[in-house]
Amino acid sequence: MLRLNPSAHNNAHLLLTLILMALSLTLFEPLQLWVLLLVLCAVIIRVSLYLNWQKHQLSIRTLNLMAILCAIVLAYFGWQLGLLLGMLNLLVMASSLKLMLLASRRDYFQLIGVQFFLLGAALVFNQNIAFSLFYALLCVLLLLSLACHINPSARWPILIKRVGKLCLQALPIAVLMLLVLPKLGPLWQMPTGKGTQTGLSDKVSPGDLAQLARTDDLAFRVTFEGNAPPMSQRYWRALVMEDFDGSNWQVHPYRRKLQERYKGANQTFSPQVSGPAHSYQIIAEPTKQRWLFALDVATSQDSHVWQSHDYTLQSRIPLQSNLAYRVRSYYQTALHEGIPNLDKRLNLQTPEQANPRTREWASQLKAQNTSAEQIIQAIAKFMQQQEFRYTLKPGRMPVDPVDRFLFEEKAGFCSHYASATAYLLRLSGVPARLVTGYLGGEMRGDRYMSVYQYDAHAWVEWLSDEGWQRLDPTAWVAPLRLQFGLEQAVEFEQSFLADAPLANLRNIEWFNNLRGLMADMDYWWSRWVLGFDQQNQQDLLKALLGELKLWKLLLFSFTLVAVIALLLAAYHIRPWLQARQNLPHWYYQKALKLLARYDIQRPYWQGPQDFSMSLATKSDKQSLQHFAILTRCFTHLNYRPLTAQQKKRLVRQMRHQLRKLKRSLAKK
Amino acid sequence: MQAQVQQAIGQIGKLIIGKQQEIRLALTCMLAGGHLLIEDLPGMGKTTLSHALAQVFGLNFSRIQFTSDLLPADMLGVNIFDNQKQAFHFHPGPIFSQIVLADEINRASPKTQSALLEAMEERQVSLDGQTHMLPSPFFVIGTQNPLHQAGTYPLPESQLDRFLMRIQLGYPNWQAEKAMLQQPQSQRGQALPTIINDELRLKLQQQVLEVHASDAILDYILRLVTFSRESERFANALSPRASKALLLAARAWAVTDHRDYLIPEDIQAVLPAVAEHRLRSSQADSQTNSGLSLQLLECVDPLAA
Repeated sequence: MLRLNPSAHNNAHLLLTLILMALSLTLFEPLQLWVLLLVLCAVIIRVSLYLNWQKHQLSIRTLNLMAILCAIVLAYFGWQLGLLLGMLNLLVMASSLKLMLLASRRDYFQLIGVQFFLLGAALVFNQNIAFSLFYALLCVLLLLSLACHINPSARWPILIKRVGKLCLQALPIAVLMLLVLPKLGPLWQMPTGKGTQTGLSDKVSPGDLAQLARTDDLAFRVTFEGNAPPMSQRYWRALVMEDFDGSNWQVHPYRRKLQERYKGANQTFSPQVSGPAHSYQIIAEPTKQRWLFALDVATSQDSHVWQSHDYTLQSRIPLQSNLAYRVRSYYQTALHEGIPNLDKRLNLQTPEQANPRTREWASQLKAQNTSAEQIIQAIAKFMQQQEFRYTLKPGRMPVDPVDRFLFEEKAGFCSHYASATAYLLRLSGVPARLVTGYLGGEMRGDRYMSVYQYDAHAWVEWLSDEGWQRLDPTAWVAPLRLQFGLEQAVEFEQSFLADAPLANLRNIEWFNNLRGLMADMDYWWSRWVLGFDQQNQQDLLKALLGELKLWKLLLFSFTLVAVIALLLAAYHIRPWLQARQNLPHWYYQKALKLLARYDIQRPYWQGPQDFSMSLATKSDKQSLQHFAILTRCFTHLNYRPLTAQQKKRLVRQMRHQLRKLKRSLAKK
Repeated sequence: MQAQVQQAIGQIGKLIIGKQQEIRLALTCMLAGGHLLIEDLPGMGKTTLSHALAQVFGLNFSRIQFTSDLLPADMLGVNIFDNQKQAFHFHPGPIFSQIVLADEINRASPKTQSALLEAMEERQVSLDGQTHMLPSPFFVIGTQNPLHQAGTYPLPESQLDRFLMRIQLGYPNWQAEKAMLQQPQSQRGQALPTIINDELRLKLQQQVLEVHASDAILDYILRLVTFSRESERFANALSPRASKALLLAARAWAVTDHRDYLIPEDIQAVLPAVAEHRLRSSQADSQTNSGLSLQLLECVDPLAA
């Protein structure tokens, strides 16, 4: 059966169609390609209907067939997607099918409702300020589409004005809800695995970091409560790697197992700390991994942060979206805890084969020097004498990389130096491990800094009697890296950010200013909107109320509700009082409302007497009679000259009849 | 007293069958002391209705058939020199009667039309410096062919405004027309008895003035006229004279309903007759204007507080 075209020049439908398309495009990553294609098809169909190129809708039968096919395909692929992604795909698929079907008011309202839900779901995947603003815009456009649907003949400026007014009214409520409503944790686990991971990885071959250092993506931001530490002290620990196979470093499998076990038992490592500390909040960008970043020695009270025995912090859930956490770093405390025996055992392991020249040299070192400090001195001296270079473009070292680096290339990135040094130390009998993370950070203002991927760094920790000592071999060959960051350190070879687009613009001042401004805005967004967590909320309440107590909280919420109620009342009280003053009118309108509930509506223009007459066919005799008397009283009161006495009597009669009418209608 | 009004309506209804509402409106117009314009095609009973009204009220009646060559003097009368008395003597024209049927008023030239309309407004005739009072009561019942008929001079809005009401009779329905055809021939020529004599008419007219119009009703009238002025649908809106006319007509209607106060239904009953010829649509394509006052009615809530 052919169905007529309900969308021809229907602006509400067109707007809805475009919104669905825009929304799906922003969800490019989590959506499957075929779902996007389906959306595109639906959009094309709807637009051609709008332009009246196509006069008829698809038949229901075709659509049903398509829906079954889609459901089968989704069921087939959906297993691997996990709940959230599967549901998202299902929702987008369903709304595109509904869009093809869209004919009645009901379809339209359903689709609008689903779009609002999808907007909320989309915010799970895209949270930065640009997307948030875009989604807000889509939300307003959805409302506009609704307004247009309800009042199709109204002109756009009127509709926009109306919707704008509504949004402005809703804004304070939204802000209030953000500030006051309790913050719930995420209700579902975000799926992992899909999408490329960014930033560090838990396995490092020395060339990797150099690659990473050529991108300028944001890694995390820090807001300090006091002063920020100097540049050369900003060693952000992320991962500790203790397993070396001759070319690559990774987190030791045994350590990993141990961490799992502790986490399972819900035990966290809490180091003894003393001395001065830096307090700060970090907002980490999503990495889809669990590790977090902090200065040594870090402690965190946040419930979603867990600490491992290698002093690293980890999140209990993978970082699918920005994660904020608070850290106190006691920078004078030594790293002397952990699990000493295990640490020693793990960090002396070396591969049997590979890198023969290094092993030979290490045995010489061991023979010539007695203490660890001396060995380190010797390595430093060797590197400085042999004029090692620091470069972002290290040569390829596929076989025996340490040998090749130390004795042939003599040029490498921080990870090469750290890897070689740690290996040498291990070979000489000093427990040593590789730590990866970030060094540095760009201050913006005097309180907060941004740390980018190009700040990625690797350094060495060796175990002395006082605990783990930090050793940064990069400092021997490129002291500039520590003091001024990577850009200065590799300035001579023009390799900084070689892979980032627009990198050449970094030298133009206004572009840098613009970049700074964007970063600032993004920071404020992350800090105050996305990062507005339970802690912030409590701080705010504390700032408002002082010490938090139950009765204070209760009082506060009641006051809040009361204020809102009062405002609403103030808004409504005048019309209400006015209506209430004219009692006959008041009763008559009440009677009309009663009848309207039983589907008897007075035409807008009809006089009371005519209306009462017209009821004869629509109502039962009893209520009819009551309403007729009511109407008569009303007309007398309203249009006849009466004495106060008569008026009183009639009003009383009206009230009486109204009650009777209510009763007789209810009986029906 | 009320019985007589009903009786009058019934009597006229015997001649013009199935047009109760229009007859009542015509009667209302007479009670309100306004002039009546009947617009319809030839042969719909315009003349019959006017005759019947004159008879029921017991007033003397004259009929002027308007043609394009009718001059004002033909209607108003002339001063003729009397040789015997050596003086001009006024010979009154047909307009000097209590009910004047101005038949096919829009066939006359504008000059004649305006002479009639001046007489209607002033209730006197000025000729050669002499003023002659018209008899009292003085009703003009104009009839008019629809404008698209050949050889008509449409009345300008300012002159249409002088008529309190304009009614259209329209075709009778099946039963009514059948009843009319079944009437014995002899009955048709019979004159109607006088039912509302002068005394009663004056009493009723006094009552009309005493009908109570509450604030709510006045507000309703004001809402109606204001809407006509503010809406974009109407090129010509309702003037203050129109709102006065509306109130007056509604009062007279209430009297025919034996009520001494106004209710919104009174306004709604007379509004099409009172307002239709004063409104003009702003849309060029709707030439007939039909239903403009109904549109107006349906846009205004009589109960709005």
